[in-house]
Amino acid sequence: MGWLPAILWVGGVLAAPLAFSEDRLASRIDALIEDHWAGNQASPPADDAEFFRRIHLDLSGIIPTVEETRAFLGDSSSDKRDRVVSQLLDGPRYPQRMAEWFHVHFMERLGDDAAWEVWLRESFAQNKPWDRMAREILRADLRDEANHGAAYFYAKRLENYGQNAIDYSGLTRDVGRLFLGMDLQCAECHNHKLIDDYLQADFQGLMAAFQNLVPVKDRGYPAVEERLMTTKLRYASVFTQKEKFTGPRLPGLEEIEVPDLPKDQQYLVAPDKKTKTPGVPRFSPLQEFATRIAGAPGFDANLVNRVWFWLMGRGLVEPLDQFHSGNPPSHPELLSLLASEFAAHGRDFRWLVGELTRTRTYQRSSRLPEGAREQDCPPELYLTALERRLSAEQLLWSTLRATGHQEREVALENQKAPPAEVGAKELPGLRERFRKALANDPRQPELEFAPSLKGALFMMNDPELLRLLDKGDGAVVTRLAALPDDVRVAEELCLSFWSRLPEKAELENLTACLKASSGAGERQRMVRDLAWGMMTSPEFVVNH
Amino acid sequence: MKATPSPLCTPQDHQWSRRKILGSLAAGAGGLAGLLHPAVAETLAKREKQVLFIWLDGGISQFESWDPKPGTRFGGPFRSIPTSVPGTHFCELMPRTARLAHLLTVVRNLTTKDNAHSSGVPRILRGDPANRGVKYPYFGSAVAKLMGAGVSGLPPYVWIKPGNGGFLSENAGFLGAKYGAIAFGDGKPPENFTLPEGLATAEDEARQLLRERFTKSYAAGRRAGATEAQATVYDMALQLMKRQELFDTSRFSKRDLDRYGRSEIGQHMLVGRNMLEAGVRFVQVTSYGWDTHGDHFNGSASLIPKFDAAFASIVEDLRDRGLLDNVLVVAMSEFGRTPRINGHIGRDHYPEAWSLAMAGAGIARGRIIGGTDAEGVFVDAPQAYDIGSLFHTWYAALGVDSEKVEFMNGDQPLPIAHQEMAPIKEALA
Repeated sequence: MGWLPAILWVGGVLAAPLAFSEDRLASRIDALIEDHWAGNQASPPADDAEFFRRIHLDLSGIIPTVEETRAFLGDSSSDKRDRVVSQLLDGPRYPQRMAEWFHVHFMERLGDDAAWEVWLRESFAQNKPWDRMAREILRADLRDEANHGAAYFYAKRLENYGQNAIDYSGLTRDVGRLFLGMDLQCAECHNHKLIDDYLQADFQGLMAAFQNLVPVKDRGYPAVEERLMTTKLRYASVFTQKEKFTGPRLPGLEEIEVPDLPKDQQYLVAPDKKTKTPGVPRFSPLQEFATRIAGAPGFDANLVNRVWFWLMGRGLVEPLDQFHSGNPPSHPELLSLLASEFAAHGRDFRWLVGELTRTRTYQRSSRLPEGAREQDCPPELYLTALERRLSAEQLLWSTLRATGHQEREVALENQKAPPAEVGAKELPGLRERFRKALANDPRQPELEFAPSLKGALFMMNDPELLRLLDKGDGAVVTRLAALPDDVRVAEELCLSFWSRLPEKAELENLTACLKASSGAGERQRMVRDLAWGMMTSPEFVVNH
Repeated sequence: MKATPSPLCTPQDHQWSRRKILGSLAAGAGGLAGLLHPAVAETLAKREKQVLFIWLDGGISQFESWDPKPGTRFGGPFRSIPTSVPGTHFCELMPRTARLAHLLTVVRNLTTKDNAHSSGVPRILRGDPANRGVKYPYFGSAVAKLMGAGVSGLPPYVWIKPGNGGFLSENAGFLGAKYGAIAFGDGKPPENFTLPEGLATAEDEARQLLRERFTKSYAAGRRAGATEAQATVYDMALQLMKRQELFDTSRFSKRDLDRYGRSEIGQHMLVGRNMLEAGVRFVQVTSYGWDTHGDHFNGSASLIPKFDAAFASIVEDLRDRGLLDNVLVVAMSEFGRTPRINGHIGRDHYPEAWSLAMAGAGIARGRIIGGTDAEGVFVDAPQAYDIGSLFHTWYAALGVDSEKVEFMNGDQPLPIAHQEMAPIKEALA
């Protein structure tokens, strides 16, 4: 990270003492957000604990440890928030956290794949520019061994079940939605009836590049084969029935000519049926798309809008895949500033995330302003930090940490065999249980906090989950029930689950509960009930 | 408010945790309010409209049930018998249902579009509202959305089926996961439905009380959405867990078991009856195995009497308990079966001319609508009905105005049933 800390928090008030700070993106973002307030009251900055928990969940995918929280709360230096952002961006958990975010966001729980996971983690560890990641995904080159995992984006979507045909329309739609912010679904068979900007030609131009893809099976990694494209794609509107043709074309860009190559020149590498090796066509629509994607309108705006949504709880364009002139952004200047700055900074994820998390906008409290009602704070004004959903993974990691199971945490994180005492089968099982109970079904984007009956039954009754509370000497309940000091127990519980110290009245209530339980068994039970109550309260299960 | 006794917890347990926690927490009294449902809830629930949707997956044959054609080219070996509606005959395989025909409306002039299971099932269950580029909810999800859970506090859309259970959010389409079905596979509850071993009811109450307290203190000064959503699903889970007896098949009397039939559909219909009585808004009971492409007549001789026992029993019970005015009952499949008998002595898929039966809330009694020609090949009526007309009819029966009420998919208003169709007036009471 080449830049200096430019924003300092002094006693909760923003100070910007360095000369070039006004130019810094974070400050310009805040100015553009606050421009829209027109006298509305905003929430105060998040307090240290609120900020610290939030930034850990966002950049590391896990709540901070009790020790980290104590140290941060005790640190009186004025640049401590800035330093935490830098540390976490450079920290060991950042690549995995980003990989999880990207996976949930771009695969929408369609499935999991080890090579894809590795590719994502390595890409974020190297801080690959977004255009490069997009190129590698869209190119899905079988010959590019270092990036085999990237083909999973296509390969999973090309899977078909039983007698159903491969869903090329679905793949086309997803590329439009996730890379360009355009849901062209209703423009497959005719021009979109409600959105003037979405044309059937856009859908068909995109699909022209994907219609020749077929999955390659049994490679041990995700792989797709691109078959020859020798003619344009033919289509017709269901309304006019008029026949039309298109070569591959990204929305907003020129159509790519389909070359008329002599038969013996169609392949760079001819397919080999004996060894079942797919050929490599000389004309590759995927290659053409990969080369051009960064120049397609909306490419940068879509990505910064999605990152903004992730960190701020609401897109500047909502819904995220409805970029069109009839649906303008809430802050048009801000969106174009973010998009152009992102491009100018080499489409650097770390830089973008660092800027957004250093804004006052990000670091505001999620409590409403004093005396304000909910309707006084429309979400699109960002007067108050918006509560956000935690993924099944964030909840898994945070639960392991809060309940005192670091050894499980580490083993899962490193994808290694867990230590013997944990049980080799238990860990992946635990992750599956969390996902099954708390993740959405495939193709249902995880955009808002949407607790389910299934999730509630899991938190209430799942024996494996509940065992985490008091299984083993290191488990939070076992450890704390053995402490004689009620105040200490109450504080540790609050720090473990909520990453903060109890307020005065809370402390009184908690110690009163503890005092009322006499005898080891009762005390253990009381600590367990308190821990469970904390774990199931929104304060634990929401990113606030 | 008394804790439910549980074999796992001693009387001391009861005194233990709640009293202590209530005593310890400032202003903690009354924390359990809202968790325990008042006894009146059930009584009230009975006055609300409910749905029993019986799904015979694979396609019941209209010839061997509602629209027999004995002695004709395609009629098959079974005879027909008179019903309690003069002049109307059903197949001899359903004698008990025949005696209840005066309570039913049978539609014999269905013409639908899809003859494949994989696309036909969702098409029918979504009411085929014309392609809008969005995935429509199944009827159960739609009713859950339009009519809500009601006062029972139980999940609004419950599905009792053979095989696996679980939470089926796909069914909800664009309405979103929370309107999906909770499915009880083999009539049994889903995973994590009971307290884990070793956790006494009293301790559960104690920890729930703490959860509520912590939730409340988090909510102070914040937007209401997250807290309310979280509280709602926990309340629903607790309601459901309190009703373990709904799944306890050992409680069914020998008489009921004999009447409903000791078959899968019979048992599941009894669980369905429990659910209706408890106030669940929409209960779907599914029976599989109706896709009789081969050995159709032996298959029918086995399947249809099982359906007859279960169906006739539930209609009788709803009538005897005074629930028939409130519960809309529908029995149907994704399509009917071909007149032509194939080389494997089977009947294939046939959406051209088939039948369904319904009864209860808002539905006319003893009415036969439409009909087919002498050999049962085509609809022989001024009009044939597609599934969209049925959706309109069911909504009308439930008191939902399907021409005015709309779904909102984001900003997009969408009709709740096919826009170019209307309720079947003769089917309505």
